[in-house]
Amino acid sequence: MRAGLVLRPVRFSLVFALSCVGACACLALTLPRPASAFGDAGAFDPRVLLTGNQTGPAHESAPGRWAWELMQRTSAPARLHASVVRADDPAVVLSPFLYWSGDAEVAPLTGAEIAGLRRFFALGGVMLVDDAGAGERGDESPFGRGARREIARVLPDATPVALGAEHVVFRTFYLLRRAEGRVQGPASLDAIVRGGQAQVIFSEHDLGGALARGASGTWERPVVPGGDLQRERAIRLAVNIAMYVLCSNYKDDQVHAPFLMRRRALYTP
Amino acid sequence: MDHATRLGPSGDLSPAVAALACGLALASFGMLLVEMRRRERGGALIAGTGLFAVVALLAAVLRPARISARESVVGARVVVLADTSRSMALPDAAGRDRRRDVRDEAVAKLQAAARDARLVLLGFGEGPPTPLPEPGPAAGGQRSDLGAALRALAASPEERPAAVVVVSDGRLDDPPEDASDVNLRALGDALRVPISAIATTREAPADASVRRVSAAGAAVAHVPLPVRVEVGCDGGLQCDEVLVTARELREDGPPMELTRGVAHVRDGKAALDLTITLERAGSRIVEIAIAHQPGDKIPENDRRLVTFDVARERVRVLHVAGRPTNDVRALRRWIKGDASVDVVAFFILRTPSDEVHATQNELALIPFPVDELFQEHLPSFDAIVLQDFDAQPYGLEKYLENIRRYVRRGGGLVMVGGENSFVAGGYAGTPLADVLPVELDGKPGATSADTSPFVPEWTPAGATSPLLAPLRDVVGDELPQMPGANVLGDVRPGGVALWRHPTRTTRSGGRMPVLAIGEEGDGRTVALAVDGTWELEFSELGAHTAGRGHGALWDGLLGWLMRDPRFEPAQLGVVGGCTAGQPPRIRVRLPQAGADEARSIVLDVSRLDKPAPPVHVEAARKADATSVDVGLPALEAGGYTARLRVGEGATTRYDFACEEGGDEWADSRPDPARLRALARVTGGAFAFAADAGSLPLPKPTRVSAERHVTPLAPPWSWTAAAAVLLGVHWIARRRSGLA
Repeated sequence: MRAGLVLRPVRFSLVFALSCVGACACLALTLPRPASAFGDAGAFDPRVLLTGNQTGPAHESAPGRWAWELMQRTSAPARLHASVVRADDPAVVLSPFLYWSGDAEVAPLTGAEIAGLRRFFALGGVMLVDDAGAGERGDESPFGRGARREIARVLPDATPVALGAEHVVFRTFYLLRRAEGRVQGPASLDAIVRGGQAQVIFSEHDLGGALARGASGTWERPVVPGGDLQRERAIRLAVNIAMYVLCSNYKDDQVHAPFLMRRRALYTP
Repeated sequence: MDHATRLGPSGDLSPAVAALACGLALASFGMLLVEMRRRERGGALIAGTGLFAVVALLAAVLRPARISARESVVGARVVVLADTSRSMALPDAAGRDRRRDVRDEAVAKLQAAARDARLVLLGFGEGPPTPLPEPGPAAGGQRSDLGAALRALAASPEERPAAVVVVSDGRLDDPPEDASDVNLRALGDALRVPISAIATTREAPADASVRRVSAAGAAVAHVPLPVRVEVGCDGGLQCDEVLVTARELREDGPPMELTRGVAHVRDGKAALDLTITLERAGSRIVEIAIAHQPGDKIPENDRRLVTFDVARERVRVLHVAGRPTNDVRALRRWIKGDASVDVVAFFILRTPSDEVHATQNELALIPFPVDELFQEHLPSFDAIVLQDFDAQPYGLEKYLENIRRYVRRGGGLVMVGGENSFVAGGYAGTPLADVLPVELDGKPGATSADTSPFVPEWTPAGATSPLLAPLRDVVGDELPQMPGANVLGDVRPGGVALWRHPTRTTRSGGRMPVLAIGEEGDGRTVALAVDGTWELEFSELGAHTAGRGHGALWDGLLGWLMRDPRFEPAQLGVVGGCTAGQPPRIRVRLPQAGADEARSIVLDVSRLDKPAPPVHVEAARKADATSVDVGLPALEAGGYTARLRVGEGATTRYDFACEEGGDEWADSRPDPARLRALARVTGGAFAFAADAGSLPLPKPTRVSAERHVTPLAPPWSWTAAAAVLLGVHWIARRRSGLA
């Protein structure tokens, strides 16, 4: 026999029930009302960047799902309905993050688009370039190659470098060993680092493909070769990237070092 | 004035010519005497006529005249430099007379004895000498700088004195105790007159004192500072081991002991090395005191109040954020971008309701060390930033009292808005609310946030506040639209609103503050009721200003918290130091006033080391004045803090100490040997006060006036007489057988 709490039927009178309701109402009134929301202006917004003839992200549902996963898993607020902005729109400087994805060739950026992105980067904004057309081995698609080419025009003085597992982006929330998305791709991410901050992160893993989920609740794209485990790790990477945007190099602080070194030693994925 | 008459040569002859003529006359007569050895007879006749002829010839050259004049005797100008420093208020060894009284008696004796000298009585202390005040209960100056007084005399266009007489106890700042003869002689060389000295005191009183406190280098917050304490014990006092304590005077409570040690006295003196650590920047008063020694006749110098101007090498900030947002990101990036700021950050990245789908070991999360931070390490931080942080879930509530104490002891606190801040964070009615610059409404049903977007307005104080000047330089009057605000109450007494809500009002009917600052005890606090300052970076305004507005805002806020002089409304200082019993003057240096700037200055002075009635002084500022001296009533010895408010703006604080004797009483021993050496090397004389009347002084000078020269006879008569007598002498020679 299992020990446990035994619930006995209780006979409620109407007066007692009304008293309970009244007491609860009074109790609620005695508490200060929470400051639920100053809007979501300061929340993480996986803003979709459009250039040239682009009309949307490679995976329509990916930004919203990214925000949802972030809110479910962390304390960070996020916009479930990500905004969309064109590179030549003055609004490109209204938030510190841009998500640029695609699987087709990128049209050369216009002068206005380059100027807009330069203003965004000058303010310290961060961009994720997600190659939705990446091959299973992480081969760049025309979008990946084109995006790198155009970013080089925006930031001509910077060259992408590889971010290995030691980079803070792999431990901003989850401890990750490598980068993964819909495809496994290369273990590292590439990034243009300016002022100590990875300002443009290149993913050749189709991160959005792993996040995309249809209205029916089913994942839109299969994840290869690792299946659901790899999808989970891809979601974790997306969460980490969002946390990197919001917390910068917070997990590089010395106070975290001994804890994270111990965990790394214990954690075997 | 006397009349005098005498004979002299004609006025057109110089003394040299007259002397030459006299010499030639004597030589001529001498040669005549030699020549007389060849005479045959009549020696007396030759000599007599020769003498008359030479005299007549000399008279023809000199043409004697009667000189009459009115003459006077002028006494030598002697400058008496009497020591007016505060050490002259010390008693003599017997504990009866004060040195000042002995000095006055010595001066009186000197005046009585020097009838033929013109005595000019001056006092020396700090800078050029000044006319000695009438004998009375003068408090005395904080320095005894004889060197400055002598140099000022030498540079004076007035008549150079024939001698200088110094009347002092010999305990001088300049020349110092270990001055060599060369250095002492150099003092006299400036004037090139003998310097005599009268010593007022022979023996040291029975006294144990803190003679000197010196620090090795500048005081830096949180950094141990070596301090050397020199203890003296003289006048027959028996002290072998003397307890020395160092305590910091604080406004929020009794003095806090920093360290203590025992000084081992040998040959009447001891040096003790202590190490103190001051946690807060700004002017800080440290009391260095020795235990009272039985028989000590001057207990006032048993403690020194030392003002340390504590600088900051780096600012240590504790940044706690309730959740990661764009506002947290912006502040984090600004803090990390400033190399002078050391930040310890804790962000709440996960709440208990979050589904992380991972084991603990797969997460890069560490426990929030709330106990360690807010119990153990709190004093080591210069400022705490609580950003969108709810105290309750993380057990911070029990440490809010610690934070209140931390602020009152000089810490800085910023509460930044968000859905977990202020009323929503459960801070209303807590000890932390007592130190915020705004009131929080903790009543049932209180609204914690207004979610309607708005653009904050500058208050008049905000528009002129130095701490927001950098932001205004970047954005002017423009501010970005905020997505909402935490609901705050009125500004508490002493607080100042810098931004306000354009429409929302408090219960009192005033406009709701959005950004407010305040002082609480030793510390300062900032309430920022929005979480949208990141839009100073990422917005159209941010794009126009290259995002510099956010950094400019936080430069000012954190700089003001840390009392950075750039962000203070004024700079304060005590003119000439503060001596107990003498009304001090506080000099207020202000930035250039605008046309419509407030003119009123309010200064509140309160005692640090013990309860005492505060002093409240108001003054007015002239339109173009950048410096105002505010007089205070005489204060007792102790530590004080002065708070200044200009108009309705923020206050600034300045700590200062008033001492009974200060440096002048620290070493009560007289030093007649130094005075004796000074007199010796400059050619002067030395005497103790009892023998002041016997001090030798320069002789007076005779001065002639209304001089009249009258010839005794016309020049031709002298020439004719000389010719006749020479002729007679020639005849006498011929008759005596001389050629």
